[in-house]
Amino acid sequence: MTTPLKDIPIFSRLDAEERAELEEILEPVSFSAGETIFEEGGPEDYLYVVCSGIVEVHKKVLPGHRHVLATVSAPTVVGEMGLLTEPRAAATVTARTNIEAHGINRDRFLEMLDGDSLAACKVVYEIGRTLSERMAKTDESIAHIIARIERADTSHDLDVFQDTLLNEWSF
Amino acid sequence: MTENQLRTVRLFEFLTDEERAEFMEEAEAATFEVGEDIIREGGRPGSLFVLTSGRVEVRKSLPGDRERVLAKIDAGVERTVVGERGLLGKSGASATVRASSRVEAIRIPRETFRRMISEGRPAAFKLSYRIARVLAQRLTRLDEEVAEAIRELDRKGETDLEAFRDRLITDWAI
Repeated sequence: MTTPLKDIPIFSRLDAEERAELEEILEPVSFSAGETIFEEGGPEDYLYVVCSGIVEVHKKVLPGHRHVLATVSAPTVVGEMGLLTEPRAAATVTARTNIEAHGINRDRFLEMLDGDSLAACKVVYEIGRTLSERMAKTDESIAHIIARIERADTSHDLDVFQDTLLNEWSF
Repeated sequence: MTENQLRTVRLFEFLTDEERAEFMEEAEAATFEVGEDIIREGGRPGSLFVLTSGRVEVRKSLPGDRERVLAKIDAGVERTVVGERGLLGKSGASATVRASSRVEAIRIPRETFRRMISEGRPAAFKLSYRIARVLAQRLTRLDEEVAEAIRELDRKGETDLEAFRDRLITDWAI
């Protein structure tokens, strides 16, 4: 692994001791280009801190269609929603290029959190900051959707409304 | 004010008595009169408020100069937290919280929270874990609601858009 932990944003707040504590549960893992990291609806029992490479996120919103949600370059984190909610992937994540990552087992990490590990809490704090920004964007999308629903013309063209949902909602 | 006031508040219930006491030491009492804004939509990210008495309305402006009441909250029935997202994020509030009666609240200013974070105080990190969970749960649920609505529209069945709208605004995280 080439990237030192302290240079990865999600670990930036940890001091040397906390990094050492976390390192005990980190599992180096690599994925080859094209490999599936999470399968939509499948287990999400790991959180991956991606150090190098590009991942792609897809979701089957409509039967027969694979909706590409995002293409994200390292450094990034995948599987964080599974950590904070249910360990079931809401979307498929694949490696677009070769990937180097740190795997964090969900159960072990939750044990650390339940044991009030400050190292683990600091990692979640960084995740929380990202989620907070995502929530802000989502709230604006909702405002647009509501405005459309409440404008009388929506009922005349549900197909257009469906397209809007598909295109404007960032799952 | 005592830390007991926070014991039954969602987000604070997982803290130890000592950690709740830390927050209460940093917190300020705040009072709002009828019509006053506790949180203003689009403003700078601000404080977290635990509403301890009174009633508030949560209002959101919609495209086209319209406004909608998202929720009416009676703090007398349940102690309620607003402004939790502002502690973590850098975006302004996504809705206005307005007092519809005299409101008493416990205020934890964002600057105080940020200072607690930079001091590495576990209480602040533990609170952000709880906030992150609430956000993650709401985001996951919303994604499911929207995906389901898209599928329903695709089946050309009866789609109750008003009910869909109401589900989208449930549990708004301010």
